[in-house]
Amino acid sequence: MSGISGILQIATKALLAEQLGVEVTGHNIANVNTEGYSRQRVNLVTDIAVPSPWGPLGTGVKVQGIERAFDPFITARLNAKNSLLSEYQTRSAALEQVATYFNETQSGGLNDLLSLFFASLNDLADNPSGGGERQALLQRSLSLCEAFNSRADQLVQERLSLLQEVGPTIQEINEHTARIAELTREIVETEANGQAANDLRDQQQLELSRLAQLIGVSTYTAGDGTLSVSLPNGLPLVQGVLSFDLTYQVTPTDTVDLIWEGPGGTTEVIPTSILTGGSLTALLQTRDEVIPEYQQELDQLAHDFILAINQQHSQGVGLTLFDEIKGTYPVTDPLLPVSAAGLPFGDQIVAGTLNISIERNGEFLDAGAIAIDPSLSLNDIVVSINTHPVLGAYLTASVEDNALKIDANLPSDTFGFAGDDSNILVALGINTFFTGSKAYTLDVNAWVLENPNLVAAGQIDAGGAHAVGDNRNALALAALEEAPVGPDGLTFADAYQRLVMSLGLEAEEAQGQEIFYQGLVNQLTAMRDAVSGVSLDEEMTNLVKFQRAYQAAARLVTVADELYQTLLALKK
Amino acid sequence: MRVTMPTIFTSIQSNLERLAGDLQRVNASIASGQKYQSISDSPVDVGAILGLTTEENQTLQYDRNLETGKTWLSMTLSSLQDITDIVRVSMALANQMATGTYNASQRQAAAEQIQQYMEEIMQVGNTEIGGKHILAGFRTDTAPFVEGDWQVQPPVMHLNSGSTGTAVSGGVYTGTASRSYLVEMVSGGGTGVGTYRFSVNGGQSWTAPAVIPAGPVALGDGVEVTLGGTWVAGDRFSIPVYQPITYQGDSHNFEIALGADSRMVINEVGSAAVGGDQGDLDLFQMLAQMKSSLEANDPAEVGVSLEKLGSYQAHITSILAKLGASLDRVAIKEEVYATLKNELTRQISDRGDTDLVEAANLLKTKEIAYQAALLSSSKAMGMSLMDYL
Repeated sequence: MSGISGILQIATKALLAEQLGVEVTGHNIANVNTEGYSRQRVNLVTDIAVPSPWGPLGTGVKVQGIERAFDPFITARLNAKNSLLSEYQTRSAALEQVATYFNETQSGGLNDLLSLFFASLNDLADNPSGGGERQALLQRSLSLCEAFNSRADQLVQERLSLLQEVGPTIQEINEHTARIAELTREIVETEANGQAANDLRDQQQLELSRLAQLIGVSTYTAGDGTLSVSLPNGLPLVQGVLSFDLTYQVTPTDTVDLIWEGPGGTTEVIPTSILTGGSLTALLQTRDEVIPEYQQELDQLAHDFILAINQQHSQGVGLTLFDEIKGTYPVTDPLLPVSAAGLPFGDQIVAGTLNISIERNGEFLDAGAIAIDPSLSLNDIVVSINTHPVLGAYLTASVEDNALKIDANLPSDTFGFAGDDSNILVALGINTFFTGSKAYTLDVNAWVLENPNLVAAGQIDAGGAHAVGDNRNALALAALEEAPVGPDGLTFADAYQRLVMSLGLEAEEAQGQEIFYQGLVNQLTAMRDAVSGVSLDEEMTNLVKFQRAYQAAARLVTVADELYQTLLALKK
Repeated sequence: MRVTMPTIFTSIQSNLERLAGDLQRVNASIASGQKYQSISDSPVDVGAILGLTTEENQTLQYDRNLETGKTWLSMTLSSLQDITDIVRVSMALANQMATGTYNASQRQAAAEQIQQYMEEIMQVGNTEIGGKHILAGFRTDTAPFVEGDWQVQPPVMHLNSGSTGTAVSGGVYTGTASRSYLVEMVSGGGTGVGTYRFSVNGGQSWTAPAVIPAGPVALGDGVEVTLGGTWVAGDRFSIPVYQPITYQGDSHNFEIALGADSRMVINEVGSAAVGGDQGDLDLFQMLAQMKSSLEANDPAEVGVSLEKLGSYQAHITSILAKLGASLDRVAIKEEVYATLKNELTRQISDRGDTDLVEAANLLKTKEIAYQAALLSSSKAMGMSLMDYL
């Protein structure tokens, strides 16, 4: 329809279109800081031309729709990298936390305490009868035990606090998947009439990117615009308008099982190893794989340390002998062979001889040897002491709280251990320096702590003599500082340093990965923003553009009006 | 590429954050004096520093052990030197007394002097460091040399040719001072025939001659002698009575650790160095015998003792030389450890301590970078088309 009314029509459509342009520009400006927002623009097309004698005649502008500027490929890549970034951020934070427990860059760390412990043994060797040296050794040993204990405890605490994060994280994942399914439903409904639900789709993308930060997922968009989200092993979290929850449980071995709750009450345990990306992955892997590794290494170190020190200590004799002694390691059953009775160092027992020396009023009286075999039970050992032709007359052995107890029969009698090549003393915790078997349980033997004179600096001679100035055992104990222990032949200090170094390297690596992925994410974010981000200058330009077009369209109305007036004036 | 608002502001934010982080790190390293604040800052360096620190602590400990060694060795050395001096004086005295120009009373006086020397040696031998007897082996709580019970020694015989006389000493001495009983045959013959007399002051005064009885002869204070065989007039023998000094320590060597596999003996066992074990080189026995010979006014036996003292002197000289060598070794080790300590301190410092010049420079650089970033950021943030519309 040509003619003046056609002009007015064109003007009306133009006014409406440009006004819409201003509105969309306004929406863009308003959402410049909205997370996940993709800028929108009005898609203007020419309206259908009408035939005229001069050919098809344009009838103005038509609004085709409102489009959002969105690149699904860049966004998918950004989500994937964000997922990894989030994993390394969480991992790095946790490792950095663990690293602070082993922060040996400050003085007073375990490394220093280990040095001090061996220094005290050297001091004791320099002055084996010195009470001060014995006290100093015990105090430093306590500090060392405490350092081992607290590090072990902190690792346990760290695992606990990671576990506390697992629940809320899984809950958040479930909320996001439910929201994605809900948004999918809304999008499908909204778009049923063929119009794009731009803001809903932005929200869906935002939920997806938040989900990806929590757990690494793969997504697939179907032809009808519905979204499927699945775990790396293919189990779906969101399928169209349905979502499936995750839950967890702590196994008896203190690891976390991640459980997928499928349709109809089916469940499936998701192995932690298949997860990649997302903070949940980092939480689970750090808790159940990384930290246990260091726990085990620390425990092994403490175990080797206790064994080596106790083994040497049990060969020696203090300034005073025992009038009674009770083992620190109880067996599970006094009838079982000692090598299989749950003793932490039971595997060390070999066939050998335990030599016991008896003194009366401080003078050597008699000595006897007890044959030990790993197949003997604790009860057998008690019997062989009590029925020993020599020792049986002076000593009474018994089982108390499942541990070996030996008492001298007379108050004037005392006894000492003059060498044990069977390791039975180490295994039962008799004449030992430390108790416990791992980092958390390491402690100084209460017998020694109460009576520092029982610190075995010397040794009993073949003739039963022992002297206050004897430092042979203290020298041997001090020499353990340089002795290779464990399968790798490292010293205690070396082994601990290796632990610290590998922990430092792991934390450093996580930090490095975090920085790397941060860079990648920054770059991809810039790429995404290049497509979807709002540029205020651009919007200002558009605003002016639409405003001017609107003004021009309004002028068109004025022109049409003038045309009408001119035409009407002809009649006068 | 489209540069949008979020891009500009995100990059400004992350750049400023990074620069602030850098600044903080440099500042912390200057404030604490340590290059690394956490083990993840540089695990390899931190590990190396830990290793070096352990080594440094060990070196300090070995150095402390050396102090103990030095104290023991020098105390032992000075004690044994004192003893050597006394031995030398004793030898000079023995040298004089072995000649015939001195009479019995002079020899008695010399015997007194030897007694004092013995007591002096015992005192020196019982030297303590911090309540520990250094010459007692491991039995540091026991004085190594003590006087035993009175003992009547076997007779020292001087028989003339043709004599078959035998004497067996016995009895329990009840006196309080050491002495020698000198017995002389006045007329020859066996039991019931020969006559004897005895003296308790080296022959200055004698008892009246008596016939040799069948049983034991009481010499006084519980000391007895049983005479047998056929004597020749002029036969002499002496029976020394003294408290032998015995060694109470054990024969263990006291060692200290000088390094991973290196130990050093820092004591001398009293029985080997001084005596008390009634062995060949027992200084106390030599002196006791010499004293008895002097009491018995027996220059020939004094000469024998002099010879023995000579061999003891050679023995202790070699011990002194060994102690001196050990002290030398301690001094060398001290030197080595001092150098090592310096070197380790330097290495630890090189790796772990902040290089202040470098750090201050870096701080300045970061500061300038931060300021530049602030300036350019505020410029970028301030730019808007709105200012021109």
